[in-house]
Amino acid sequence: MATANENYFIYADPRKCLGCKNCEIACALAHANCDLTTAVTRGLKLKPRNSVVQVGGMVMPIQCRQCEDAPCAHACPTGAIYQEDKFVRINEGNCIGCKVCTMVCPFGAIIIAQEEKDEGNRRTKNGKARKCDLCYSRKQDNKEVSCACVEACPTKAIMLVDYESYRKKLIEERGKELVRAYSVIKA
Amino acid sequence: MSNWKNSVDPAVDYLLPIAKKAGIETAWDRYEAMQPQCGFGELGVCCRICWKGPCRIDPFGNGPQRGVCGADAHTIVARNLIRMIAAGAAAHSEHGRHIALTLLEVGEGHAPAYRIKDEQKLRKIAEKLNLAPAGKDIRQVAKEVALASLDDYSRQKRNVPCNWAKETLTAERVDKLAELGVMPHNIDAVITEIMGRTHVGCDADAVNLLLGGIKGALADYTGMCLSTELSDVIFGTPKPVITQANLGVLKEDAVNIAVHGHNPLLSEIICDVALKMNEEAKKAGAKEGINVVGICCTGNEVMMRRGIPLATNYLSQEMAIITGALDAMVVDVQCIMPALTSVAECFHTEIITTMAENKITGATHIEFREDSAVESAKKIVEVAIEAFKKRDKRKVNIPDCKQTAITGFSAEAIMAVLSKLNANDPLKPLIDNIINGNIQGIALFAGCNNPKAIHDNSFITIAKELAKNNVLMLATGCGAGAFAKNGLMTQEATEAYAGESLKAVLTALGKAAGLNGPLPLVLHMGSCVDNSRAVNVAVAIANKLGVDLDKLPLVASAPEFMSEKAVAIGTWAVTLGIPTHIGIVPQIMGSSVVVEFLTEKAKDLLGGYFIVETNPELAAAKLVAVIKERRRGLGI
Ligand code: SF4
Ligand code: SF4
Ligand code: SF4
Ligand code: SF4
Repeated sequence: MATANENYFIYADPRKCLGCKNCEIACALAHANCDLTTAVTRGLKLKPRNSVVQVGGMVMPIQCRQCEDAPCAHACPTGAIYQEDKFVRINEGNCIGCKVCTMVCPFGAIIIAQEEKDEGNRRTKNGKARKCDLCYSRKQDNKEVSCACVEACPTKAIMLVDYESYRKKLIEERGKELVRAYSVIKA
Repeated sequence: MSNWKNSVDPAVDYLLPIAKKAGIETAWDRYEAMQPQCGFGELGVCCRICWKGPCRIDPFGNGPQRGVCGADAHTIVARNLIRMIAAGAAAHSEHGRHIALTLLEVGEGHAPAYRIKDEQKLRKIAEKLNLAPAGKDIRQVAKEVALASLDDYSRQKRNVPCNWAKETLTAERVDKLAELGVMPHNIDAVITEIMGRTHVGCDADAVNLLLGGIKGALADYTGMCLSTELSDVIFGTPKPVITQANLGVLKEDAVNIAVHGHNPLLSEIICDVALKMNEEAKKAGAKEGINVVGICCTGNEVMMRRGIPLATNYLSQEMAIITGALDAMVVDVQCIMPALTSVAECFHTEIITTMAENKITGATHIEFREDSAVESAKKIVEVAIEAFKKRDKRKVNIPDCKQTAITGFSAEAIMAVLSKLNANDPLKPLIDNIINGNIQGIALFAGCNNPKAIHDNSFITIAKELAKNNVLMLATGCGAGAFAKNGLMTQEATEAYAGESLKAVLTALGKAAGLNGPLPLVLHMGSCVDNSRAVNVAVAIANKLGVDLDKLPLVASAPEFMSEKAVAIGTWAVTLGIPTHIGIVPQIMGSSVVVEFLTEKAKDLLGGYFIVETNPELAAAKLVAVIKERRRGLGI
């Protein structure tokens, strides 16, 4: 029953987002498993999987929506992107950097980037697709790890949404409204 | 930024696409790449004053409301702001110290490159500073004035105010400021005091901090006042001069040298030396010899005093190199973009730094010292001629943009024009016209450019609107540059934009001054350090009317400001009682206490206050409303 439930996803509130890019830094560091000072002193080129954009006076981070019918998973010729355990997962090892996924993603959530700790002298550039994996790659020894960006956001503009409980809450709230309306009519 | 226009300057319109095509990055590209800018920083609620930080306050109330030490948003915003004032005051007062020390050297008979060009002004200053100059040798007077000015940097008695602040303001204002405890006694000490009181664990009361900032702003006023006046003594007091502005002043057949920065000490000598080295330039193949042009405030200084054309102002400084025709850019201090050297890498242009404490990686450093100024200047011109030989003709793109600009309206020059109408009482014609409403009020434009606004646009838009409303306009710094480049310092602009009564007054004055037509629409009062010139005029009017500055129909506007110096200037303008418009949202919005103090409470305390308005049309309307309100207050 692992895939019976719908995917988790990250939601950001543009009214709260200040555009500080803290979430970008946190994401990049989390996926490089590295701290800020080390990254800066070593001159690592870290890539966040999210990207803070400014549109119409509002700012918010954009990351993978974990689509249920994910276009990227359909398009990937090597099967590097696929559904599993309530994630649109990505196996960077299988990725050949063909960029088809970046073309079909409706949110522009996927980037192609080189290895953070790239040594450089290889036959090919070895660019890999990178996208938000809800920090799945950080999970070690089956321990729950929360999303780095959610932890880092100083205004709590981003949250990890569990679709099932979100929907349940929504139904309950709407239900309460209907009940209230009904009691008014009755009274 | 698809529909965003970068600039209203036609030279920028011409050169930006060329830069883009060549892949040369400019300030506008970097500004765009910087988006979105950090919201905490924009609000001023990010504290980096100690290394427990950086701390930042969540403006939505979800996250932390205090820094690690417990400082709240108000403390943090106020500390950040007054540190900017201290930096601005430091920049201006270092400039002033440099000039005062040079005057001392002249008085003592050293510094052979310099002399006293305006003896009369020196004697007047000495009188103002109560130094009884009558009958004294001029070198002795120079020494005494220099020492009295340097006293303003070193006095230890806290209850004795700075000479230059005390003697150049209205008595009422001086008393009021002393009462508030904000009259500076020593420029250096006040700057140091700000640094001290904002250290971790010191002054934490936002309003008390702001009062410290006000004192710092008055120290800034003191430093710039003495810097301007003593520069006039050494280099001459500006008189009206007709010159040209915008990048079209560069010449294809000349060795083009731009002087950029703020301090006239070296640029003046370069102008002298360049004249003498014309032949060498011609020998190198430059048919028209050497062409010196100005950028930013060094540009304003040499434009006012010598009629040297102004190439451009702050935000478009890189454009001067992109013309491909600039052989050397000689820079001193302040507002010099470190990007210049990387732009210059794409061309033959030499960027030459001249001050030991202002170097830029990639630039050629030719150190300047007062005692060997001429030798340094010679070396600089030689380097420029050498660079000219390497110029790639295919890369030359001088935009066909230049405007006439009538500049050089020092306070003395304005008085001279007025005295043509009434020799015994020069101020009378001006005051009469203010009282009868022909002139509704006076506006001083100052400050920089900022890519957050369309380059030069706010200046031009507001000025046209105020002109319609018969407001007399003065300008300094890069604001003055914007007007000069865009043709608002011409007689034609007066004809085109001035309201009927303003036009009549400017025409009467212009004819009396022998200009055969009106004065220009906006009067060029100099570089940004010269804002004290406008205060001189305002204080003279106030004294004559027997009221303090905060009663006059006087406003200031810095619609595109960016530098710490501008923060200091704006703050002293408010402190002197002048309502001051700023067109860029300042980084203080995270504290309601600070915002309220500067935009409202200051009015009760000082008479002046800040008006924040990013839309130039609305800003103009607000400024006109303030002038009308002040007129009502005076019963005129
Ligand atoms: S990467 Fe894009 S297409 Fe793929 S699941 Fe996420 S949002 Fe959907
Ligand atoms: S880039 Fe990699 S993950 Fe993306 S479609 Fe190509 S192979 Fe698949
Ligand atoms: S950390 Fe939060 S506020 Fe900052 S950019 Fe990310 S979502 Fe926006
Ligand atoms: S001074 Fe206070 S608020 Fe500022 S960084 Fe240090 S601990 Fe944080």
